[in-house]
Amino acid sequence: MSWLSRFKNALRPRRLDEDLAAEMADHLERRVAALRAKGLGSDEALRQARARFGNVTRLHEESRGFRLWAGLEGTLQDIRYAWRGMRKSPAFAITAVLSLALAIGANTAIYSIVDAAILRPLPLPEPDRLFLLSWPDISDPGSPSGQERDTFSYPEYLQFAAVTKPVARLTFVSSPNRVEAQGPNPDAPLEKVNKAFISGEGFDVLGVRPAVGRLFSAEEDRIPQSRAVAVLSYDYWRKRFQADPAAVGRYLKVQEKAYEIVGVARKGFFGVEPGEFVDVWLPGTLYESRALSDSGWHWFRILGRLAPGVSRDQIQARLQPSFHDFQVQRVSQFPTIPSAIKKQFLESVIRVHSAATGVSNLRKTFSRPLWIVFGVAAGVLLIACANVASLLLARSTARVAEMAMRVSLGAARARLIRQMLTESLLLSLMAGGLGWLLARGIAPLLVSLLSTKDAPAQFVLAIDTRVLFFCIGVSSASAVLFGLLPAWQASGVQPMLCLRSSIGQARRPKLGKVFVSVQVACAFCLVLVGAAFLFSLGNLLRVDPGFDARNVAVLEITTETAPRSGDPVEWNATHPGEQERLRNLMFQFQGRVASQPGVQSAAFAWWPIFEGGGWSEQVIIPGQAPSEREEILYRVSPGYFAALRTPLLAGRDFQPADSSARQPTPTIVNEAFARKYFNGSSNALGREFSYPFGKSLQREVIVGIASDAYYYDLRKSADPIAYLPTEGTGGFILYVRSPLKLGSLTRLVEREARAIGSGTRVREITTLETIVGNTLLREKLLAGVGGTFAGFGLLLAAIGLFGLLSYSVGRRTKEIGIRAALGARRGEIVSLVLRDVSALVGAGLVAGLTAALAVMALFRSLLFGIQKADPLVMGTAIGLFLLTGLVAACLPAQRAATLDPVSALREE
Amino acid sequence: MAKPNSAQTALDLVVLTVLDRRGPLHGYGIATAIEDLSEEALRIEEGSLYPALHRMEELGWITAGWKISETKRRARFYRITNTGKKQLASESARWASFSAGVSRVLRHA
Repeated sequence: MSWLSRFKNALRPRRLDEDLAAEMADHLERRVAALRAKGLGSDEALRQARARFGNVTRLHEESRGFRLWAGLEGTLQDIRYAWRGMRKSPAFAITAVLSLALAIGANTAIYSIVDAAILRPLPLPEPDRLFLLSWPDISDPGSPSGQERDTFSYPEYLQFAAVTKPVARLTFVSSPNRVEAQGPNPDAPLEKVNKAFISGEGFDVLGVRPAVGRLFSAEEDRIPQSRAVAVLSYDYWRKRFQADPAAVGRYLKVQEKAYEIVGVARKGFFGVEPGEFVDVWLPGTLYESRALSDSGWHWFRILGRLAPGVSRDQIQARLQPSFHDFQVQRVSQFPTIPSAIKKQFLESVIRVHSAATGVSNLRKTFSRPLWIVFGVAAGVLLIACANVASLLLARSTARVAEMAMRVSLGAARARLIRQMLTESLLLSLMAGGLGWLLARGIAPLLVSLLSTKDAPAQFVLAIDTRVLFFCIGVSSASAVLFGLLPAWQASGVQPMLCLRSSIGQARRPKLGKVFVSVQVACAFCLVLVGAAFLFSLGNLLRVDPGFDARNVAVLEITTETAPRSGDPVEWNATHPGEQERLRNLMFQFQGRVASQPGVQSAAFAWWPIFEGGGWSEQVIIPGQAPSEREEILYRVSPGYFAALRTPLLAGRDFQPADSSARQPTPTIVNEAFARKYFNGSSNALGREFSYPFGKSLQREVIVGIASDAYYYDLRKSADPIAYLPTEGTGGFILYVRSPLKLGSLTRLVEREARAIGSGTRVREITTLETIVGNTLLREKLLAGVGGTFAGFGLLLAAIGLFGLLSYSVGRRTKEIGIRAALGARRGEIVSLVLRDVSALVGAGLVAGLTAALAVMALFRSLLFGIQKADPLVMGTAIGLFLLTGLVAACLPAQRAATLDPVSALREE
Repeated sequence: MAKPNSAQTALDLVVLTVLDRRGPLHGYGIATAIEDLSEEALRIEEGSLYPALHRMEELGWITAGWKISETKRRARFYRITNTGKKQLASESARWASFSAGVSRVLRHA
């Protein structure tokens, strides 16, 4: 009650004052009346009444102190004062708020993604007790290692779960993959969902409860699993079933197989992978039956929850012997394995990582770029702060007389600083509010930069207290950053000096110059980094991949097949009849599509290039030891090289008959392959090699040499590739070269697919350009965001420079006027104005360059074709910067040069 | 909070007693009541009554509100609260023992 009334009074101090005054006046009047009743004259009565009452002002202040919250009142006063000040100079306020808002918004947006993708713990109970198993990836001899592999097989999982039983509970979770699903209604559309497998006790281990129905239990771990059941995510349930509890018990078709929905996981559980949300959970025991017994089939991650008081090291110690046994067994299955690789297998050690923040494939690719982008945003914020600081400084010069007056009236320095910091805080909080709104718009845009159509990145970007705190924190910190120095400087005025002359201001520009130098250094650093990323992306885009990706559509086709086992390599041997049928269907399909008007050529392969899918084997040349490295093998149809415009340098293209040829099978290799294994393409034609195929060897004979083409990635040099004639398969990729629009081309291919029958369907449609572009997401993120921010930093620095110059010309109007009157030429005046600024810019450039070189050394691996001190990048950055500086300096210098001496002197 | 046995406590005690015995009063009424009660022995600067009243108001011992007085004028009337009454009881007991102590010392001096 009393606290509340004091709070209310602080909000409306005037009313309290009136109240107090009225009460005391009432008392005095009554006393006067009483004294007059005793017979005193009115003047004497008033004098006596006042004497008896005491000092009204002091008593008023004393009462006031009891009845309002003085700290709040002072703050409110400061805020009102600051608000009035801002209203008086709206141009300053708008510039300051807008530039800060952009910087704060950018920082908040990036932080919200960094937080969602990297920092935020999984929304599970006690996430600190969760852990993830991994082991060092086997690397090619000589190439840098350090990568980790975190997938395991079902037998390993069972063994690991058994040995850790008393101290931890394990579960497996497969990486989500996008598949087609169809709801239970007859007219339900086919849609893409993220599906993942989990162990029966998985939900329990993770600590997830059902929202509706039940989750999986030990029942679902039984092999063979007879019941096809599924658990939905809360979001998917809401989207597809409108959160209807009756969805439980109905059937969902996933990849054409019906699963009974037994329950819905609780709200907010998206899986263990930030960035990829799981829609449908299936029991792992419903995966391919061979995957449940084959220890070579790695298809899920293993996560676990520590029992209380158990450390991850204890888990590691328990797991290592079992892990080693599996590695020994693995090595023994591949007798031809190179010894260097064998050694790595046997020496590898299982690792137990914390999984508190989840696991993420996305994080591997994007965590460093995200931190870099975050750093760039921080740089922009620093520039914006320096900018506002110098604006404030310039403004405080205008207010020096006011400050001097307040100081001479006895205002304490701390009180003045507090008041000016309130102004800064008001600015930055307004900017923060605006920045928050901006961030809500920018964050989804940034997420879309991390996404591809097939793998959209998903993050929980809802309004989050952590992000909100970050936003407020950044705003307040920047207020202190840009407000404190000007406030300190302004409150330190010497009233005497100020009133006497303007000597008191002489110190001021020095500080302004410091801010400009900081800005220049930061902005130049950003420009250099941004230029490096842009050039890096440009270099990648200019790489000749060895094929022509323009106008090539990539269509994923499936057709019905007889039931088959999952291993494509053994497919050939196990189903010769079915194989031949499919092969004929594929060739027929290719022919029909290729003969359509508007289609230049069509060819198929088993999977698309540049999507990470591949098959590699050791190459064995007769009379030589097996190769140390496994080389890429890629099955393609006749016409592949024509469709992709990869020139055949020698020999011939494949023919349909090659697919059914006896061993040695005709093969086309690229130049890199020929160079590596046959000392050049001229020797390779007609030579033989083989690769391990199950327990035997598959023999190949080289009938053609193709020029080099990239397969996985544009960043490395072209890999050696052996192209093999195609085999029949139920799912393949059709490359179609055509100038037609993707939509009409798709309709055309769909028509042909229906015509050919056997359930042939078009699944996925994209273009080769998109696929190749998707491998450059990281570079595009860095170049896009880095480039934009660099531009923004440059703009802010230009504004700062412009401000300082305008200010210094304004301050030296009299001096310039005198010089002009004495006959100084324009050039001299301009150089006078520019002289000290160019020194500042120079100092900033040197500092920025040093910083940029140091920073860039940290992420050299993310740059492509950029040297340590790349002359092109540096030249561009310096050129751009000087040009901007020149533009910013032009106007003030022009003003100085054209100053009319007479009016300049009169102005003073 | 107020230091015990100070002049402030004495004033508080007097004001609370007046309000307790005479019911709601405005500031001037309290001042004249104190004059009457103490037969002008307890002379205070009249104005210092107000900070004391406002302090006790914030402490919740008394409440106040604007009312039309007997002379048809607007005046701020004070009334003792239950908390105030409790405060009065405990403080007057303490005051009694304190003044007893003082008079004993004075007698022996």
